[in-house]
Amino acid sequence: MAPALMRLVLALAVVSCCAAGQPGGRVDLWPMPASVTRGARTLYVARDLRLSTAGTGYKDGKAILADAFRRMVAVIQLDHAINGSYHGLPVLAGVNVAVRSPDDELKFGVDESYKLTVPATGNPIYARIEAQTVFGALHALETFSQLCYFDFVLGVTGLHWAPWTIVDKPRFPYRGLLIDTARHYLPVPVIISVIDSMVYSKLNVLHWHIVDEQSFPLEIPSYPKLSNGAYSYSEKYTINDAIHIVQYAEKRGVNVLAEIDVPGHAGSWGVGYPSLWPSATCQQPLDVSNDFTFKVIDGILSDFSKVFKFKFVHLGGDEVDTSCWTTTPRIKSWLVQHGMNESDAYRYFVLKAQKIAISHGYEIINWEETFNNFGDKLDRKTVVHNWLGGGVAEKVVSAGLRCIVSNQDKWYLDHLDATWEGFYMNEPLTNIYNPEQQKLILGGEVCMWGEHIDASDIQQTIWPRAAAAAERLWTPVEKLAKDTTAVTARLAHFRCLLNERGVAAAPLAGYGRTAPSEPGSCVRQ
Amino acid sequence: MPPKLLTHLILALVAVSGAAAARRHPAPANFTASGNPVYIWPLPKNFTSGTQTLAVDPDLALDPQGAGGGAAAVAEAFERYRHLIFSPWAHAARPASAGYDVARLTVVVASADETLELGVDESYTIYIAAAGGANSIVGGATIEANTIYGAIRGLETFSQLCVFNYDTKNVEVRYAPWYIQDEPRFAFRGLMLDTSRHYLPVDVIKQVIDSMSFSKLNVLHWHIIDEQSFPLEIPSYPNLWKGSYSKSERYTVEDARYIVSYAKKRGIHVMAEIDVPGHAESWGNGYPKLWPSLSYMRKIFPFGLFHLGGDEVYTGCWNLTPHVKQWLDERNMTTKDAYKYFVLKAQEIAIDLNWIPVNWEETFNSFGGSLNPRTVVHNWLGPGVCPKVVAKGLRCIMSNQGVWYLDHLDVPWEQVYTAEPLAGIDDTAQQKLVLGGEVCMWGETADTSDVQQTIWPRAAAAAERMWSQLEAISAQDLETTVLARLHYFRCLLNHRGIAAAPVTNFYARRPPIGPGSCFVQ
Repeated sequence: MAPALMRLVLALAVVSCCAAGQPGGRVDLWPMPASVTRGARTLYVARDLRLSTAGTGYKDGKAILADAFRRMVAVIQLDHAINGSYHGLPVLAGVNVAVRSPDDELKFGVDESYKLTVPATGNPIYARIEAQTVFGALHALETFSQLCYFDFVLGVTGLHWAPWTIVDKPRFPYRGLLIDTARHYLPVPVIISVIDSMVYSKLNVLHWHIVDEQSFPLEIPSYPKLSNGAYSYSEKYTINDAIHIVQYAEKRGVNVLAEIDVPGHAGSWGVGYPSLWPSATCQQPLDVSNDFTFKVIDGILSDFSKVFKFKFVHLGGDEVDTSCWTTTPRIKSWLVQHGMNESDAYRYFVLKAQKIAISHGYEIINWEETFNNFGDKLDRKTVVHNWLGGGVAEKVVSAGLRCIVSNQDKWYLDHLDATWEGFYMNEPLTNIYNPEQQKLILGGEVCMWGEHIDASDIQQTIWPRAAAAAERLWTPVEKLAKDTTAVTARLAHFRCLLNERGVAAAPLAGYGRTAPSEPGSCVRQ
Repeated sequence: MPPKLLTHLILALVAVSGAAAARRHPAPANFTASGNPVYIWPLPKNFTSGTQTLAVDPDLALDPQGAGGGAAAVAEAFERYRHLIFSPWAHAARPASAGYDVARLTVVVASADETLELGVDESYTIYIAAAGGANSIVGGATIEANTIYGAIRGLETFSQLCVFNYDTKNVEVRYAPWYIQDEPRFAFRGLMLDTSRHYLPVDVIKQVIDSMSFSKLNVLHWHIIDEQSFPLEIPSYPNLWKGSYSKSERYTVEDARYIVSYAKKRGIHVMAEIDVPGHAESWGNGYPKLWPSLSYMRKIFPFGLFHLGGDEVYTGCWNLTPHVKQWLDERNMTTKDAYKYFVLKAQEIAIDLNWIPVNWEETFNSFGGSLNPRTVVHNWLGPGVCPKVVAKGLRCIMSNQGVWYLDHLDVPWEQVYTAEPLAGIDDTAQQKLVLGGEVCMWGETADTSDVQQTIWPRAAAAAERMWSQLEAISAQDLETTVLARLHYFRCLLNHRGIAAAPVTNFYARRPPIGPGSCFVQ
């Protein structure tokens, strides 16, 4: 057989069995876009795929688009040598990106929609991305990368089922992942790799639970002794590290939500400033009776406002055990003097911290206990962060407040017995039918609490379960699977994609972060 | 100044200051003059340190010297290490108020020969001092090596001496002046990866190679193929590739070449393994098929050693397969004879291709007397095998599964650390026949999600055993000095983005038991 003919036969063989499945079969995109149509032609992606921005007013002054394009080409090619011949093959020469808005600030609720078309013919053939903002274009590039596969036989990158028309936008504006650097310090390169992997499933908020009772790893210029509460001299973030993380994330369309969890989860603050503790033996909650407590909060939030540009700051407010206040005579008498019982003091503390945050230009997110205890007193712009269980969001929105859903039984990644199926099926709008109330649900967040998480196992515990939630938060409800068996193979494919990109995503089978039980293919485990 | 002269001068100085230090501080050899453990992993052969702190310029410049100093591999390695040293903090660095003590790194490489072969000279010396300091005539930092691979090892050590000061926001070298003279104890310091039980994407293999270079391991034993899958492209036999798990769980020839060249840039050999005999068919007409496959692989894998497997051969199938049975009968062979016949035949092919054959120990145990004298026997079944191998004049690699199989999760780091390749071998000539050792990461339950976590930190424990001087590592207290140093190294791996697991969990790759510092878990 002539080599060219042989190649044709091989190409046909590949078509019949490869990445994107049989005609009419599986579309291997994760999360599933709002609308997808496709054809039947295979294209081959040019070795030097070009980015064209002809006919767009967007200047790309921060190189957000150009850098994203370069990264996209890298994850398509991985490290494979693209050394096959393109002779006689239909070649996709480039991607034309038209961004309408010149604004490249990553505001909350920024338009993330896009339209991606890949024509089957043309001379040359160019894919086209249209988006209102550059951040929509970034999502389009990720989708485009998932259309591509490396053809091991031809030694070139292929793209099945052209022509493609994909019209897409997220269902919720807030699609979060929490990391916890207080229970274990996570080195900056690890946080960076988590951000990289979030982008692959279109998550867009990194909720950084920076501090807790165990350690205070972030340097705060206004109160430099706070980071004496770090685990060790080197398990710290400089303020420049934080700036770097924020900018790195923003460039990828990910906002960073900073949290200080007051007053309950703050024991480490007093290592540097012991007067923040009720006493040396009773270290949290923070001393409600001490003005210095609120000065420090003000200093932290003032420093935050220069670093964390996201509209929201998270003030925690969960799991407050007030017994240290009542057993410390100084505080006890302060309470009596001010006519407060301990739950009054808890409310007083949370509301005072809210006011401080507002004075620095932030809107506030608080854990749900604040709502459960004194919801009517919270600032009306408060976003309530659900975690204790289901059924909270409906109460929050009927009270007119906004809500983020993270019910622990389904969306806490440290619950290793919470399966990916449970992550997938957890619906933020459960029992909320009023469209106005539905709009108050900003989205949801999966939480990677760090008691048993460090640099060795974080990615493995996050993925692939976080991806299951990511589709729930992105994809239109009518396109979500009613039965998770319908998406198992597609999620397994996405997990293998993460692996190829160097992300230590665990097998789907079994509990979270379980090792594969036996030899086998990535796509079947 | 010619490099050699510099070395002599420094050696003389060190001898003097070392003697003085010995009078003042009768501290053990693995501690700094200030009494702190030396946080360099693996422990260098000889070193002296001081009490100065030197600030390192974030724009540290490379000053290449000597016939091999200008090699691209040196410049690339320098950039890699500059990135590792500074990039986590580059955005935080601010100018040192009094200027920098170390603004450039002189790398002197005597030889321009970039051949990477077993036993290549990996020695190096490092000298770091402040200009005009009390003990120094030459300020700055110098790495001197005979080959680029020695220079690369020196760069790793240099990078471990550089630490970030959170108060001044500078990268510093503490306990300077440093003089380090280092070389490995064993030439073969291996790690085995198994891409047959689970496919490991190229990116993951790269991560493993990076992390190997951090602990100065130097052989990636690539167990490419096994009964579960055949992921590597062999162009002469394209059908073999169909044995891959899926269309995408494959390596092209170019991928393999890329891995070899990526490893070489880090001074790491790639030893490929084709475990023959595999299946009954390849016995029956194996020879004609094996030859072109191996000759093709010879072009991809330049390392002088090639692993031919030969372990756990279950011969039952041959008698049950008619055409094999007939083949055996015609030659009047038992299955045992056939096993030997094929191992020896494969050895001949490898030797014809200018490879030194490596075989698992069953071949030695079954017919050691017939093995080609050039054979390297790869121990795995248990202890006490290498003494027998070297007594017969053959060479040996130690991988005793009780201590150096990383898939055995119930082997804590101490047992990995104390395993001694020369145990039971007293004769110096026989000791030389032990090339080194290898930790094996069999892949039944290791895939991309957990492979690094299962390898590290235990592989590092073996790495120090194979690199550092026996007397020096034996002199350390296991549960204090070594543990503190290993904690430190594991945190360094984490800081470099490597998913190394906690050190002190009894079982490997377990999550941390609770909140806490990296340095104590």
